Amino acid sequence: MSEERDAPRRSVRGVLAEAGRPEVVSVDLALTAESFATGWQTAITRSPKISVESSDVTLPPPRSFAVGVAGAPIRTFGFTFPEAALQSAIPAQEGTSPFQHLPASKPLAANTADGKPRRATRIKPPGDIIKLEDRLYYLLQPPLESLVASGEMRFPFEPFPYQYQGIAFLYARYSAVLADEMGLGKTMQAISTIRLLLRSGEVRRVLLICPKPLVTNWRREFNLWAPEIPLAIVEGDQNRRHWQWTNEAAPVKIANYELLLRDQELFGDDGQRFDLVVLDEAQRIKNRSSSTSKVVRSIARTRGWALTGTPIENSPEDLVGIFEFLSPGFLAATMKPRRMGQAAGDHILRRTKDAVLEDLPPKIIRDAELSLSPQQYDTYRSAEDEGVIRLSEMGAEISIQHVFELVLRLKQICNFDPATGASSKLERMEADLEEVAASGQKAIVFSQWVETLDRIKKRLGRFGPLEYHGRIPSRRRDQVIDEFKSNPDKHVLLMSYGAGSVGLNLQFCGYVFLFDRWWNPAVEDQAINRAHRIGASGPVVVTRMLTLDTIEERINQILEEKRELFAAIFSHAAAPSSAGLSQDEIFGLFNLRTPKGPVRAAA
Amino acid sequence: MSASTKKAAASISFLTVLDQGDDGLFGGYLVLNAAGRPLEFHCTAPVKANRAQQILYGRTLAPYLYGEQIGQTLIGKAKTSPRWICTDVQPALAVRDYVATPVALVLEAPSAVHEEQEESPSSGDSTSSKTWRLDAARETAPRPHAASLLEFELGGFALAVSPTWGDDRETVKSLWREFAGLDLLEPFARIREAIEEAQKAAR
Repeated sequence: MSEERDAPRRSVRGVLAEAGRPEVVSVDLALTAESFATGWQTAITRSPKISVESSDVTLPPPRSFAVGVAGAPIRTFGFTFPEAALQSAIPAQEGTSPFQHLPASKPLAANTADGKPRRATRIKPPGDIIKLEDRLYYLLQPPLESLVASGEMRFPFEPFPYQYQGIAFLYARYSAVLADEMGLGKTMQAISTIRLLLRSGEVRRVLLICPKPLVTNWRREFNLWAPEIPLAIVEGDQNRRHWQWTNEAAPVKIANYELLLRDQELFGDDGQRFDLVVLDEAQRIKNRSSSTSKVVRSIARTRGWALTGTPIENSPEDLVGIFEFLSPGFLAATMKPRRMGQAAGDHILRRTKDAVLEDLPPKIIRDAELSLSPQQYDTYRSAEDEGVIRLSEMGAEISIQHVFELVLRLKQICNFDPATGASSKLERMEADLEEVAASGQKAIVFSQWVETLDRIKKRLGRFGPLEYHGRIPSRRRDQVIDEFKSNPDKHVLLMSYGAGSVGLNLQFCGYVFLFDRWWNPAVEDQAINRAHRIGASGPVVVTRMLTLDTIEERINQILEEKRELFAAIFSHAAAPSSAGLSQDEIFGLFNLRTPKGPVRAAA
Repeated sequence: MSASTKKAAASISFLTVLDQGDDGLFGGYLVLNAAGRPLEFHCTAPVKANRAQQILYGRTLAPYLYGEQIGQTLIGKAKTSPRWICTDVQPALAVRDYVATPVALVLEAPSAVHEEQEESPSSGDSTSSKTWRLDAARETAPRPHAASLLEFELGGFALAVSPTWGDDRETVKSLWREFAGLDLLEPFARIREAIEEAQKAAR
C-alpha cells in the first residue's frame, strides 16, 4: 500500500530531475497608498453636534355633541271594554254571574270533526259607526265559532255558517232588518245574538214582540237555544202584566202585538225603556198610521231589530213603515226602489234557502190548474156577472170593500159550489192524499177560510184530519201539533193561513196543499216553509191549486208582476215575491175605476 | 273570603308589532279573558328609529324597539294584569326584561320551529342572519338568541321563551289549563285588523 502511495511522488521527482532546478520569481505584493488632504478626516473623527428644539404638540380640546338615542315618547291609543268591569267583578273561584255554570273549556282543534279548517266568522262594524273606538270594539271581538269551540257558548246544534253571519250582522247593528227567507232560522239567530249581547253586558233589558200565536214558539226556542236566560212572558190580567213589565229579574220579556195596545200607557219617553226591542213578523207595522205601529214606535229603546221574511208585502212603503220604527226618516216613500235598496242595504240582511242551504232537500212546486166543475162554473159565471153589474151601478159610491166582497165570494165558489158542494179542487186533493197516506207521509192543507177547512174535514175523515186555526184555542194548539207529529194515523193537518203560516216547525211533513191562494205569495211562502225548512228529511211537494179562467188566475198574474218589484229593491237576493194587491189592482180585476180615477185593467 | 276569591279572574294578553316599512312600527296589545273576549286594547302611533339609534343599537335595535320601547309602553298602559303575555314577533320577547309577567313567543307551527333551527347555522353566508316564517312570505327581524330559545309545545302550539327567563316555560305550562280553549294565534289577527282600522281613521 505504501509503495502505491509513494509512486506518484517518485514520478514528480523524476520529472523535476529531468527538468533541472526550478526558476524562482519573487513578486512584491505590498501596495502603496497615498492620501490627499481633503479636510474630511478631521470632521469624521469629530463628535457630532446635537441641538434640542422643543415644540408644543397638545391640541385644543375636541368639541362634543350628544346624540339622542331614546327617541320621542311613544304615543298610544287605547280603551277598556265594558266586559272588563264584569271581569274584575267576577272572582276567580266563586262566580256570581248567571253564566258561571258553563262547562270547562276544551283544547281548541284547528280543524272541525270532518277535517275541514275551522271557519272564523268575525263581527264587522257597520258603515254608520264612525267613532274609531266603537269600530274597534267590534273588530276585536273573537270569531263566533271560537266561542262555541271553547265552550263559552253551547248550542244544541252546530249553527250553519250563514247563521253565524246573521249573528255577526245583528250583533253590531242598532237598526237592522233580518229578512231571511222563511225556514232559515231567524229565531235562532236573534236569540243567539241576544244571548251574546247579554253576556257582553251591552244590553240588560230586551223586549221581544211577536204575534200572539207565536209566543209559545219563542218561549220554546229560547229554552232550546239560550236556556240560561230568564224570560218573562207578558200576559194575563192588568195586575199580572204590570208585575211582568216591571220584573227586573228577567232580562228578556216577550209580549204580543195585541197586548201592547192595551198597555200602551206604559210606554213613551217617560215609560219603560229597553236596550233592545225585537219585532218578529215585523210586517205587522208596515202601515205607519196603524195603532200597532204607533205603539211600537213609542217604546223607548236603544236598539231595534225587525225580523221578517216579507219586508215588502204590497209596496216599497211597507219597508218605509218598518224603518220608521228602526230609524225614523231614514227611508222615504218617494224614493225609487233601487235608491231605497241602496240606502237600506247596510241595514238589511236577506238570504234565500237556495243560496245558503246546499243540503236542504228540494221544494217541488206543482201548480194544479183545474177547471171548475160544471156546477161550480155555472154558479161562478152568474155570480161574477151579477156582481160586476152591481158594482158598476154603484158609481161613485163604490169602495174597496165592495170589490173585495165580490172577490172573496168568487174565490169561495172556486173552492166549493155553495149549493151542491161540488169541488174540483177537493176531488184532486183527495186523490193525492190517498197516495200520501198510503206511503205513511203527512200533509198540511192551507185555506184562508175556516168554513172551507170544515168542509174539507168532512170529506177527509179517513185521513184523520186535525185542525189548527183561529177557532182552536191557543192552549190547545200545541197539543194539536204534538198529536199530528206523533200519531201515525193523523195524515192531514188543516190550517188557516192566519194561524198556521208563521213560526211553526213542521219539517216532518212532505206535502203541502194550498187549497186556495192568499193575496200575496209571501204569506203562501210562509205557509210552505212550515214544512220546507231546516231539518226537512226529504223533498217537500207543494201543490198550489188554481182554477182556470177565474178570479184566481187573474190575481196570480198580477202577483207575478210584483216579483219584479221585490227584485229591484233586494237585487242581491233571488227573492220570492212578497207583494200583494193594491187598491187599484183590486179594482182592476174587474176593469173597474176607483172613485178617484181610472185604473189599469189587470185581466 | 279566601285569598283565591279575591284574585281577579284570569286574563291573558297578546302583544304584536307591525312593521309598515317607511311608515314605521305599530304596536298593538290586546287583553282577553279566558274565553277570548276582549277586555282592553292599546296601540301605538307609528314608531321610527332615528339614524343614531340604527347605528348605535345595530342588531339589537329590534329588541330595543319591540320590547323596551313599544312593548313596555303598551303593557304599562293596561289596567288589567294578565297571567301571561304572548307575542308573535320574536324581538318583542325582550319586553320580559321590563315586566314581571311571563312572556312567550307563539310560533306558527311546530314544523316551522324545526325549519328555522335548520336554517340558522353560523355558516357566514348572507342568509345565515335571516330567519323566515313559513306561514307567509315575509322576513322577520333577526333573532338575537335564535340558537338558544327555549322552545316547547303546549296544546298543539309551539311556544318559546327567552333563555334568560327559562322559568317562564314552567309557569306558562302551569297556567295553560285556564286558557286551554284559546287559539293562541287568532288574537294577533284581531290586533292587526284593529291597527289597520286605526291607520285608516288617521288618514
